[in-house]
Amino acid sequence: MKPARALALAVGASAALFAQQFKFDLDRLAAKASNTVDVSLSGPLLQLGARFLDSSDPDEAKVKKMIAGIEGIYVRHFEFKQDGAWTKSDLDGVRSQLKAPEWQRIVGWNSAEEGETAEVFLRLEGSKMTGLAILATEPKAFTVVNIAGPVDLDALSQLGGHFGVPKVQPDKPSGKKK
Amino acid sequence: MDWLEQELKSALARKDPPPGFAERVGEAIDRASPGAASKAGPIASRRVIAWPSRVAQRWLAAAAAAVILMIGGGVGYRWHRGIVAKRQVMQAFLIAGGQLNHLHAHLKEVSQ
Repeated sequence: MKPARALALAVGASAALFAQQFKFDLDRLAAKASNTVDVSLSGPLLQLGARFLDSSDPDEAKVKKMIAGIEGIYVRHFEFKQDGAWTKSDLDGVRSQLKAPEWQRIVGWNSAEEGETAEVFLRLEGSKMTGLAILATEPKAFTVVNIAGPVDLDALSQLGGHFGVPKVQPDKPSGKKK
Repeated sequence: MDWLEQELKSALARKDPPPGFAERVGEAIDRASPGAASKAGPIASRRVIAWPSRVAQRWLAAAAAAVILMIGGGVGYRWHRGIVAKRQVMQAFLIAGGQLNHLHAHLKEVSQ
């Protein structure tokens, strides 16, 4: 292998390795989970996946548009059969890395009644968004998301209606009342 | 006819070869490749690239098939990786979008 090519490969590999903006360290939960989603896509593999997205499909077209400029996307989603599989220390271990000034917590939700929490953090460099982090927990689920790069939050939220959660229409009130 | 045309005409005029020219050429070819000229003629004796033997042809065919298989396999593997990556991209975005949408729903409930 030519030295220049080896160097290029090494640089590409390290870029992919460091695209993730914080560590997950959630292997302990993976061992307990009944269902696990583990996605780590960056660099050439992310772009390869993007090339296979079908522009004629509405959702895929939205993702294809959003993916431009993104360096990597990393998701860990665990579902458990029983409550108490994850602990506050698991959440704190991730949350403690998302500190100012690099990260800004833009919104958080905590429902003691439903046992749910959700937080959204933005990584900012000046006024430019360079990353997104989502931490979401339910009694039987634990989700961490890191998207490295600028993301259109409105467009991303519009995809949500397909993930078993009803899409929220801004002009219509939600049916569920507290 | 001027002098130039006259000179050209005399220079380019057809001339018969001297006696014994053909024999001398044949002898020169025989000296260059003994036996070949008499068997296959002068053209065949000067062939630059020899046609490969049957064994070599089989090896070449096997090598060509291997190259085609490797290229096809590489394309197929890349296609498979692309499809898997696409599914992962969609799954990741749907989970992220789902969580945002879920949070949005909660915040909307609270604001009402």
